[in-house]
Amino acid sequence: MEIPSTDSAAELALAGTTTGASSARPSAIEREVMDLFEQYRNPILRYVLAIGLNVCDAEEVTQEAFLALFRHLESGKSRKNLRGWMFRVAHNLALKQRHANQRSRDATTIEETIAERQADPSPDPEEQLAATQRRQRLLAVVSALPDSDQCCLRLRAEGLRYREIAAVLGISLGSVSISLTRSLARLIRADGR
Amino acid sequence: MLSEELHLSDQDLLMAADGELSTRRSEQVRVHLAGCWDCRARMAAVEGTIADFARAHRQVLDSQLPPVAGPRALLRAQLAELAAQPKAATWRRFFQFTGAARAVAYVCLAACVALAAGLLLFRHSGVSQTNLPVAFEGNAVPDHNLTPGATRRIAISDVCAMPHEEVIRDVPTSVRQEVFQEYGIANARAKDYEIDFLIAPGLGGVEDIHNLWPEPYTSPMWNAHVKDDLEEHLHQMVCAGKVDLSTAQNDIATNWIAAYKKYFHTDKPLAERSYLLFAISPHPL
Repeated sequence: MEIPSTDSAAELALAGTTTGASSARPSAIEREVMDLFEQYRNPILRYVLAIGLNVCDAEEVTQEAFLALFRHLESGKSRKNLRGWMFRVAHNLALKQRHANQRSRDATTIEETIAERQADPSPDPEEQLAATQRRQRLLAVVSALPDSDQCCLRLRAEGLRYREIAAVLGISLGSVSISLTRSLARLIRADGR
Repeated sequence: MLSEELHLSDQDLLMAADGELSTRRSEQVRVHLAGCWDCRARMAAVEGTIADFARAHRQVLDSQLPPVAGPRALLRAQLAELAAQPKAATWRRFFQFTGAARAVAYVCLAACVALAAGLLLFRHSGVSQTNLPVAFEGNAVPDHNLTPGATRRIAISDVCAMPHEEVIRDVPTSVRQEVFQEYGIANARAKDYEIDFLIAPGLGGVEDIHNLWPEPYTSPMWNAHVKDDLEEHLHQMVCAGKVDLSTAQNDIATNWIAAYKKYFHTDKPLAERSYLLFAISPHPL
């Protein structure tokens, strides 16, 4: 398989030329998958990173989810709620990968480390410090939540509706609502609001 | 001012903030908020915390995202490669990839293995099954001579990509009749039985008469509903990487009741469905 090695090659392909991995004109399904990739690649990648994968694994899982989407569409299966479908595939693949990486770094440590070193856009050092501390506090609370609650919260943060979250996680609509309410109460308490 | 008992619940506030309430309930909440400072303050806390968490979630994770151009190009190339392959159902692609001769050899081999396994099971079933509470339950486990189980070659990503309705899908009426006839109960009432996959589609099982049998709904303990739970649970365990697909297939085909006991750590069916949550729990059952 020939893979364009530079960003410019990729951008040329994006511009609608027929250069790139294949000389054939992309099919309607290929174009549809690429459109969805533009729309959902970052949200899915963020989600699988958030549930504990390293960047390489997260990227691989995300790619696999879009390839599964292509196969799904190509076989003429349901187009209903493709966003939820993709998150479900990515969620399942990510759990499998995470299980395989049992010795990988703990997600809590990663997030706190990144949150600590990340520069805040606020110019005021005091505000910057307060914002960083607040972010660390919130993320520490989230990291201490049960896995199912974390997943609900992260999926909601990526814009999924309750019904979609329920389908991704295989739980009831009521469970999603209860989980989010419980998590939010903890966040509010931790934030001293 | 409304009394304390009539304040909005946290769940109502969150669902209102998320736009998840019905139109009627949403209007009730709006009216209440207009007249209740306490709930308005709580609503502000809910919305503020949601916004702060969403911002923190993105700020921390966005800094880790690699540039999109490389993955985009890679996906485009992989799609082109996939699209260049002949269009066919996944199981048919297996035949195209491997060539007809090899495919036939694989099928023959699989049939021989299934037959041998079926014969072995048949010989030993007299001992093992007398310990199970199935002797009075008719076909709670299938006749392994008729239903040894049949699978297709499938990638784990495809298994995990299946929507729930496909994992537990129904069998067409024509196939149902065929299975009833095979089991000698052609006049059976359809509502008493589920024509069930021995190895569920969600575990790579195929809609083949060798993988189907009439499973009674009416058995008091080990019935079709209980097996559905096992299938969903195993599917999620496979996708969570807690069980190999081949192990799950083998266990459910050998004796699904024993598999239920093994994977749910119980001697009898669980009354509740709360275990579905374990699919995302860090702690195995």
